[in-house]
Amino acid sequence: MEDSRPTRRDVVKGSAAAGAVGLAGLAGCTQGGQNDGGGGDDGNGGGGDDDGNGGGGDDGGSTEYPSLGNFPVEGDTVTFGFNVPQSGSYSQEGEDELRGYDLAKQHLNNGGGWVDQWDDLSGDGVLGKTVESVNGDTATDPDTARQSASRMISRDDAIMITGGSSSGVAIAVQELCQEEKVQFQCCLTHSNDTTGSACVRYSFREMFNAYMTGQALAPVVRDAYGEDLNFYQLYADYTWGQTQQASMEQFFTDVAGWSQIDSVPTPLGTSDYSSYLSDVPDDADVLVLNHYGLDAANSLPQAIEAGLDERLEIIVPLYNRLMAQAASDSIEGIFGTADWNWKLDEEYTQSFVESFQEEYDQPPSYAARLAYTQTMQYAAAVERAGTFYPPEVIREMEDYEFDNAGLGGELMRGSDHQAFRDVLVVQGKAPGDRDSEFDLLNVVNQTPRDDLGYGPDEGPAAECELGEYGDE
Amino acid sequence: MSRDGDTPVETDGGTVVDDADSGSGSIGGPIGEAYRSLRENEFSVVIGSALFLVVFPYLLIEGMGMLNESLGDPGIGGYEGLASLVLIYGIIVIGFNLLLGYTELLSFGHAAFFGTAAYSAALLSSTAEISFAGFSATMPGITSPIAMLVFGTALATLLAWPIGFMSIRRSGVYFAVLTLTFGQMLYFFALGPGSGITNGDNGFSDVNVGSLLGMVDFGEPVSQFGALYLPVIGNFEIPFLVSLDYVPIEYVFVAVLFLLALTVANRIVNSPYGLIFEALGENEQRVEFVGLNVFRYKLMAFIISGAFAGMGGALFVMHESFIHPATALYWIQSGDFVIMTVLGGTGSLIGPVFGAFIFEYIANVISGATIPVIGEIGSLWRLILGAVFVFIVWVFPRGAYGALVDLKKFLVRAVESLVWAVRNPSEAPGAFTDWLRGVGRGIATWLRGVGRGVTSRVRGMLSLVGVGGGS
Repeated sequence: MEDSRPTRRDVVKGSAAAGAVGLAGLAGCTQGGQNDGGGGDDGNGGGGDDDGNGGGGDDGGSTEYPSLGNFPVEGDTVTFGFNVPQSGSYSQEGEDELRGYDLAKQHLNNGGGWVDQWDDLSGDGVLGKTVESVNGDTATDPDTARQSASRMISRDDAIMITGGSSSGVAIAVQELCQEEKVQFQCCLTHSNDTTGSACVRYSFREMFNAYMTGQALAPVVRDAYGEDLNFYQLYADYTWGQTQQASMEQFFTDVAGWSQIDSVPTPLGTSDYSSYLSDVPDDADVLVLNHYGLDAANSLPQAIEAGLDERLEIIVPLYNRLMAQAASDSIEGIFGTADWNWKLDEEYTQSFVESFQEEYDQPPSYAARLAYTQTMQYAAAVERAGTFYPPEVIREMEDYEFDNAGLGGELMRGSDHQAFRDVLVVQGKAPGDRDSEFDLLNVVNQTPRDDLGYGPDEGPAAECELGEYGDE
Repeated sequence: MSRDGDTPVETDGGTVVDDADSGSGSIGGPIGEAYRSLRENEFSVVIGSALFLVVFPYLLIEGMGMLNESLGDPGIGGYEGLASLVLIYGIIVIGFNLLLGYTELLSFGHAAFFGTAAYSAALLSSTAEISFAGFSATMPGITSPIAMLVFGTALATLLAWPIGFMSIRRSGVYFAVLTLTFGQMLYFFALGPGSGITNGDNGFSDVNVGSLLGMVDFGEPVSQFGALYLPVIGNFEIPFLVSLDYVPIEYVFVAVLFLLALTVANRIVNSPYGLIFEALGENEQRVEFVGLNVFRYKLMAFIISGAFAGMGGALFVMHESFIHPATALYWIQSGDFVIMTVLGGTGSLIGPVFGAFIFEYIANVISGATIPVIGEIGSLWRLILGAVFVFIVWVFPRGAYGALVDLKKFLVRAVESLVWAVRNPSEAPGAFTDWLRGVGRGIATWLRGVGRGVTSRVRGMLSLVGVGGGS
């Protein structure tokens, strides 16, 4: 569907377009009489003046923008939609994401955390409006996620949706958000497609991707295990696993000089990997498990139980806490990458970890940082733009350089909305070296962003066409 | 309650009952007559539904919205998309009920038809490259909603024929399991080997819904046609017309098709052919002895319900612009159809639609609500659905719709009695105490029934685990 479906408010605002006097009068009532219903306004067509948001002060003095998506934001609150997996394979990540989101909301409204450190943010909401939120359960399923997001957009008038664990979900929801002209802030999505072939204008990703995992990981494992090895891959059969295994193949072949024996898909949500694991050939030197969440929490321990770690090296390209905890006795020495780690010695990391721990009595996982960061970045962009008008907010975020998200210098590239930032190569800690149940990983290498990434016409970005701002 | 049935024997107030009844006849006057003659009409259910469909989005959004605010915003308000979604599922369960409620065949594989239609409609509108078993093709990109609907429904119907042909040879659990298996085969095909066509676990999103008859976009609000009728109405603010304001054309399209489906199903049920469906449900053997080809009738019922599911599937994909194997083809979707149908009540044509509403409302709205004590519902929505299901099936065996019908009957009686009491003030107190006694007796009977049910169930469960030696 090319045009966005009208939301109730949208249409109520634009109803005068029909020139229907009766309706216009009624619409005026519904809006609390902001539009006098006199029919002077020309609806929601391009450049219409029916923004009607009354007080200029309310919206940062920018009353000149036409309504678009859920803009303008009426009243003295603004609603964010937190759409996370509360059930399904990635529900544990979802739980921590929600903690990050709630903390961000709390800080935006009352100050604290990064709000005190970022110049853009004030601690009295966003543009003076109190931040409210609605939550939804994606069930780690793209269709459920879309239905939940569309409820947030049409009923709750959410100005921004964020969330998702699973790239399948992120891609499905960001497409919806592009249609509806509501901003989407990706949370945990690592597939190349999210900012590659499936990229959209209305979505931004702070997380790195499978391509960068390949770039960061290949030199490290080459140095650790040597060249001329044979590797065998298992991957979750959806967008993330597919691009993940492709990137592994590319960089292990080109950079590490290894050769791939085979790469085998496993369905997302598989609980028993023993038949896949028993197929791992004898001449394999390295086994790459491209699994995540509950899947990885199943496949890695099963691989170790099958004794595979004794005859070959196991690599888990993307670590997550659930898997590390589930396999905590056996992750010692296993390489992978991670978005971020709560033990990084960095000022923004420290202040985030501090306030998170104060609130929840446990350190944040990187899913929580992503949630927190993405919400803060959106809020800051709105403050800089001085309006919630989506195209302006988007332009504010594009090509924005920053160093206040816990990972040093970062660039949100305008041509594909992918953040270019450092990537952590990590290794499982031996049980004896741990301070707590959350201290599971050693940061082996913080690969600087200059060693990673790709040009706007290379790699995943080559297939990216962002689409419209909505004000063209 | 004592007035149930015309049994003046029950109490000495029996004559009173009669009076009330004759009294009620005169209450309605010409309006009552018109109402009764409308009720006699075969298509009254369609006409009633048509009227309801006009106010439905308004009730859902404004009505529930107001309720939501008065309860302190727990997040239980409706929204536009839900109205279409309920009707889409409504179409499916109306068809499904022809099979379950009338022919009494329990299929656990109707997601196969739903999903097939959804995917084929999506593919028709797409311009994606698809490939399967070495062949590849570019999809035509035919975006007409009507073409998508017809194509999807046609393929689902074609698929229902062989699946029905094979499954109907068995009955009961075997039939259910066979249909389930066919559905699951398609699911795994879509997820794995067929992912060149369906895009597998990533979901298929290249769905392009064009304008209806080349004129109006689905997303446009109906109010753009407001000018056509509003000058006639002038400046009167008729509240429910607001609903036309934020209702998209899509809803009208779905609502019209819903009415069409309802009309067709209604005709089937009221035709001699449909009578045989019902007879099949009641006693298959007897139908066979009459000399009718049982297999053929069952197959036809199966195919018809498959076509309805297909219609719903095609509409669903137009509504969502996205389809994923888990939603389209997984057995849980088939199970959801069963739950909706039973929840609403299998005994009537329109009943299952209420089930579809309750189901979708809980799935899409309650799942995002926050209530005291429990907090956020989130993924607990299935638990709540389960509780509602158990409650309704236990307390109202005829489903939610049956309960509503009973409620309506009760209210009509109450109003009638009230009118009668006003007319006969001298006899009213006596009749009232009598009525109260009757209600008490009714409740007692009902409680005894429930109690007996509980005891027998508990005894059954105990005997299952080996306590009490069985009953």
